[in-house]
Amino acid sequence: MSALGELRRVKGQPVSRQRKQNKAAFLFLLPWFIGLALITIGPMVASFALSFTRYNLLSPPRFIGFENYVRMFEDERLHKALAVTFQYVFISVPLQLGLALLLAIVLDRGLRGLSLYRSAFYLPSLLGGSVAIAILWRQLFGVDGLVNVVLGWVGIEGQGWISNPETALGTLMVLNVWTFGAPMVIFLAGLRQIPVMYYEAASVDGANRRQQFRHITLPMLTPIIFFNLILQLIGAFQSFTQAFVVSGGTGGPVDSTLFYTLYLYQQGFTSLNMGYASAMAWLLLVIIAALTAINFWASKYWVFYDDQD
Amino acid sequence: MTGPTGRTTITTSTTLIPEHTHDSTRKDPTMRGITRRRAGFVAAIGAATLLLTACAGNDAGGGEAAAPELELSDEPVTLSFTWWGNDTRHAITEELIAAFEAEYPNITIEPQYTDWAGYWDKLSTSVAAGDIPDIIQMDEKQLSTYASNGVLADVGTYASILSTEDFPEAVLDTGALDGTQYGVPVGINSYTIIANQDLLDQYGIEVPDDESWTWDEFIATAEEVSAASGGATVGTQSWGFEDGGLNNWLRQQGGSLFSTDGKVAATEEELSSWWQLLLDATAAGATPEPAATIEREAGGLAESFTATNASAFGPWWSNQVQALREASGQDLVALRVPSVEGAPDGWAYYKPSMFWSGSAKTEHPAEVATFLDFLANSEEAADLLLAERGVPANEAIREYITPKLDEVNQTVVGFLDDLAPEIGEAPAPTPPGGGAIETIIDQHTQQVLFGEMTPEEAAASFIEELQRALDDAAI
Repeated sequence: MSALGELRRVKGQPVSRQRKQNKAAFLFLLPWFIGLALITIGPMVASFALSFTRYNLLSPPRFIGFENYVRMFEDERLHKALAVTFQYVFISVPLQLGLALLLAIVLDRGLRGLSLYRSAFYLPSLLGGSVAIAILWRQLFGVDGLVNVVLGWVGIEGQGWISNPETALGTLMVLNVWTFGAPMVIFLAGLRQIPVMYYEAASVDGANRRQQFRHITLPMLTPIIFFNLILQLIGAFQSFTQAFVVSGGTGGPVDSTLFYTLYLYQQGFTSLNMGYASAMAWLLLVIIAALTAINFWASKYWVFYDDQD
Repeated sequence: MTGPTGRTTITTSTTLIPEHTHDSTRKDPTMRGITRRRAGFVAAIGAATLLLTACAGNDAGGGEAAAPELELSDEPVTLSFTWWGNDTRHAITEELIAAFEAEYPNITIEPQYTDWAGYWDKLSTSVAAGDIPDIIQMDEKQLSTYASNGVLADVGTYASILSTEDFPEAVLDTGALDGTQYGVPVGINSYTIIANQDLLDQYGIEVPDDESWTWDEFIATAEEVSAASGGATVGTQSWGFEDGGLNNWLRQQGGSLFSTDGKVAATEEELSSWWQLLLDATAAGATPEPAATIEREAGGLAESFTATNASAFGPWWSNQVQALREASGQDLVALRVPSVEGAPDGWAYYKPSMFWSGSAKTEHPAEVATFLDFLANSEEAADLLLAERGVPANEAIREYITPKLDEVNQTVVGFLDDLAPEIGEAPAPTPPGGGAIETIIDQHTQQVLFGEMTPEEAAASFIEELQRALDDAAI
C-alpha cells in the first residue's frame, strides 16, 4: 500500500480534514517534484533531443540525425575512455566491497568505542569525492610525495605514481577503495538484522565460526551485498572529480585516467561538442541500465531473501 | 514556496524556472548520483539548461548590425566584465574598475573573474544561457570561435568613442577577422627561451649567441648542464605542451599551423620532426624524464622546473618572465628561440597576449565603448596595468609606461624591441574550433614521450584530430 493510500485511510476523521492533509502532503512534496522535473526529467529530455544535434553552446543547436551516435563507433578516445572506466569499476568496486564487509564483520564483534571507529571509517566516504581529497592524492602519490617518503624508509625507491601511465589509474582505484565507509555502515546494519537465534541454533549443532559465517552470515547478507554492489557500480561509473583533479583535466598521462565522464566533459565544454556529449551521456545511461538489469537477473541465482517461502 | 495554498505555490514555482536552470549550470560536476534513475544524466543537466535558454539569447550574426548610435546614458548603468587571471591580476583589475567608476559615477562595473582553466567553461555556458558579459577578455585561440557565432561586437563601430589610432596596424589586425574588428589587442608577447643565469654561472656553462643559435646547439648546451650538475639540475624543460613552441618550429620550417582559409596547414613531416627533436633531447638527457615532466605540467607555472630552479632553460612566453622570476628568485633572462639552418627570415612573431572584446548583445554599447577606451588608451589605466597583461600593444601607452616599469619588465620591453627587426607577419588566425589544439597537442606529446606513438603516428593523428575540430566548428 502506498504512502498516499495510508494517508487517505486515516480513520475517524472528517473527509474535509483528510483532504486538507492530502493537500499538505502534496505541498510538502512539491519542492521535490519541481526539483525532479527541472533538474532531472527536463534535462534528460533535453539532452536526448540535443544528442541528435550539433550544438556548440554559442549558437542554437542544429539537427544532424544519428551522426553523433555513428561517430562513437570510430572515436578511439571514446573506446579508450570506456576501457579505462570499466577497468576502474570492475577492479575497485569488488575490492571496496570486500574491505567494507571485512571491517563491518570485525566491528560487529562489539569492539569498545565502536561508534568512534565507525565514524572514522565512514569519514572517507564523505570526503572521497571532493576536490580537496583529489588534490591531497596528487601530493601523496607525487614524486616527492608522502608515499615515496614512507617507501624510502624501507629502502624502496619510489616513482611518480600519478604521472606514470602504468600506475596512475591504480592510485585512483586506491582512492575509491578507501571510501569503503558507506557500504561498510550498510553492512553493519545488515549484520545487526540477522536473528541471533540462527547462530545459537548453529552453535548448539556444533558449527564453528567459519561455518557460521559461510552458512548463516553470508546468505543472510546477500541482499545487502547486492544493494551495495548496484549502488557502488553506478557511483563508480560516474566518477569524475578524482580523475579531473589528479590529471589536471587531461585524463593523462597518456589518457590512462580518462574516465568516461571526464571525456564527456572535455567534449562538451572544452571542444564545445555539446551534442556529442549528450549522446555520450545516453550511451552511459544505456551501459549502466544494462549492467543493472544483468545484475538483477543474476541476483535470482545468488541473492537469498529470508522472507521467501 | 510560502504560498498559503497549493495553487499559489504552483504559480510561484513556474516563475522559478529560469533561476533554477541558471543554477544548474553552476552545479559541481562531480556526478555522484546514487539512485538508478539519476544515473548517467548529470551531463544532461547542463545540456538541458542550455536548450531551455538557448532561444533566449542566441541569434548568430548580431555583430553585423548597423553602427549603433552611441550616446552615453545619464541613468545608472551596470556592465559586467569578465577576465581570467591570477590573484595579482584580479587585484589590479579591481583597482582599474574603481578608477573607472570614480570617473563615471553612473556606471557600475560588475567583475566576474576566474582562472584560465575554468574561464572558457563559464563563458560558453553564460553565452548559452543568453547572459553574455558586456566586456570580455578574449584569447586569440578563441576569438574566431566566439566572433563567428555572433557573440562579439564589432568594436570598429565604436570608433567615435574608442580610438585605435595608437595601435600599429599589424598588431590591430590580429584582432580582426575578415575586416571586422572583434577585439582590441591588449599586450604583445614573444615566445622565448628563459635561461637561469645563476645556474649557468654555477656550472660554468657558456651559452651560445642566441641571435644565431640552432636547436642542436641549444640541446647540446642543455646536455652539458645535466652532465655538469650530476643530475641535480636538468638542462631544459620539455616543450610540446602548448602551441607557441609549435608555431615557432613550423615557421622555422617555412610552414604554418593554420592556413589563411582556416585549415590545418602543418605537414606530417614538420610535426614529426618536432616530436623527434624532443625525443632525441629526452634520450640524451637534456630534458627530464617524461613522468617528471607530466607531473610538473599538472602543477602549473609555480611548480615548473624553471620556477623552482630545477632546470637551466625553459620555453615560455615573454609576459611570464616576471612571475617566473618572482617564484625562482634567481636571475632569469629571456633569450631568442633557437632556430634551424636555412630558416626563412621573419619566422619570429609577436603574439597578442589577449584582447578586449565587447558583447554583440549589450544594451549599453556607448558605455562599453567608454570602458574599452579607458582600458586601451588611458594613461590612468596603464599606470595600474603596467605590463601584467603583456607589454602594451598601444604604442603611445607603451612609450608612456616603459620608464615606470620595474627592472624585469624593462628588460622584457628591451627584449621585444631588440626582436623587432626579426619579426615577420603574424601567423594566420586560429580558425573557429581551433581552441581544441590545447588538448590535442598535450595529448599527442604525452603519447610520444611515453612511446605510445611514434612521432610519425602522432603527426598524422594530430592533423586528423585538429582538422576534425575545425570541421565540427565550421558547420
